Amino acid sequence: MKLVMDRVVADRGGGAWSLAAHGVFTEGIHLITGDIGSGKTTLALVLAGLVPPASGSLERTGITSSMLSFQFPEYHVTGLTVRDECESWGMDPAQVLAATRLEGKDDLSPLRLSRGELKRLHLACLLGQAYDLLVLDEPFSSLDCREKERVCRNLSGRARGITIIFTHEQQIFPRVDYLWEIHEGRLAYRGPVPGALPFWQHAPEIIRMLLAAGKAPQNISPDDLVEAACRT
Amino acid sequence: MQDVRLRTGVAVLLSVAAFISLAGAAAAVVWCLVFARTVSLRRHARLFLSLGILVGFFATVLQVSGGDGVSYFIRMMVIVLIGVWVYSEQKKGEFLRLGVWMLGGKTGFDLGLVADMGMQAMDLLIADFEKIRLAGRLKRQPLNAKRLVPAGVVLVSNAFHRADETAELLAVRGYRDGGSLCPVFIRARTDIVASLLACLVVIFAIFPVSEFFILYR
Repeated sequence: MKLVMDRVVADRGGGAWSLAAHGVFTEGIHLITGDIGSGKTTLALVLAGLVPPASGSLERTGITSSMLSFQFPEYHVTGLTVRDECESWGMDPAQVLAATRLEGKDDLSPLRLSRGELKRLHLACLLGQAYDLLVLDEPFSSLDCREKERVCRNLSGRARGITIIFTHEQQIFPRVDYLWEIHEGRLAYRGPVPGALPFWQHAPEIIRMLLAAGKAPQNISPDDLVEAACRT
Repeated sequence: MQDVRLRTGVAVLLSVAAFISLAGAAAAVVWCLVFARTVSLRRHARLFLSLGILVGFFATVLQVSGGDGVSYFIRMMVIVLIGVWVYSEQKKGEFLRLGVWMLGGKTGFDLGLVADMGMQAMDLLIADFEKIRLAGRLKRQPLNAKRLVPAGVVLVSNAFHRADETAELLAVRGYRDGGSLCPVFIRARTDIVASLLACLVVIFAIFPVSEFFILYR
């Protein structure tokens, strides 16, 4: 299973801005970091096959199902109640509501939930599916630290498929397999983790400090960082 | 057409001409073909099509109830075409400059600001709608009547949220009413010619050609 970007150029129309991407996404968890406005959402739309690239091509091998999660969860709402919304994803409402601590809100409109609650609900429904290609645009926005950690644990446990996470998050990450970053209008592949960490320009301060102290973490999840920090 | 004052005036004239008669609508289309070739109907196809369906519905009702629905449909679609042209030519801040030029730094500034914010809201609404449509496609749930309710709620609540945030921002920055602005307008050579010809389109719509050509009678 792989997704090949062959000299892909993504733009927002008008030709004033563009992003070049070339490389291969194989099975595993890929983290793509970049500043706000660097083109993460545009590239996410292209990778999910929702927007054609301005030039170049995408080749999907062995990918039969794909999903993109938008930063704002309200775009995904199709149900009139929270229960409907869970069912629209093919999920058991009781199970999802218990996992997201939203019990008793079954009959509320999903749009009456706070954005944080809705994001929790959306991600719980989404991560309950087994997509071959899952593209997540800023999955940690609107979540508090506890929820970010819970989502990261779920993401780290994804056993199969290609998972691509676009984020500018600087604190809490899942365990990832490959690092990429958007830099100066180009998507750059930094390599597999942990080997890629010294080349990661958007690395959070804590990772820089650990690397400088000679305590390279095995991965970038909170547990890995704690293990590296406590290593003697 | 670069000068927003002339563009707005021309849009009003052409719309009036198209509304008055079929001849006026035809003349307005000719005007558009000559001076508004930059408007890409393909780019705004969805907007044009959805408005076409709406107009078509009312035209059908009119036709069925004994009126001239076909004429109504043609004339209204020409007005929609003119609207799409104005929308596609619009640049940020133009309505604010136009408002101040027309009505001064108090009422004009406020009206211009509201109009510019409305245009911005329109862009964001279209972007929101596109994302809702794509998200539905991913869930294999087309935008049918059942989905229109949550989609509409998202669009309206997002618009209210943004309006609320903008109002708070303006208040925090000390805005009460009015403001100072020295409007500057850029005019292309063809703007004046196009405007004069738009006046001719209105005359053509009001007075039948036979009024001018006595031999035709």
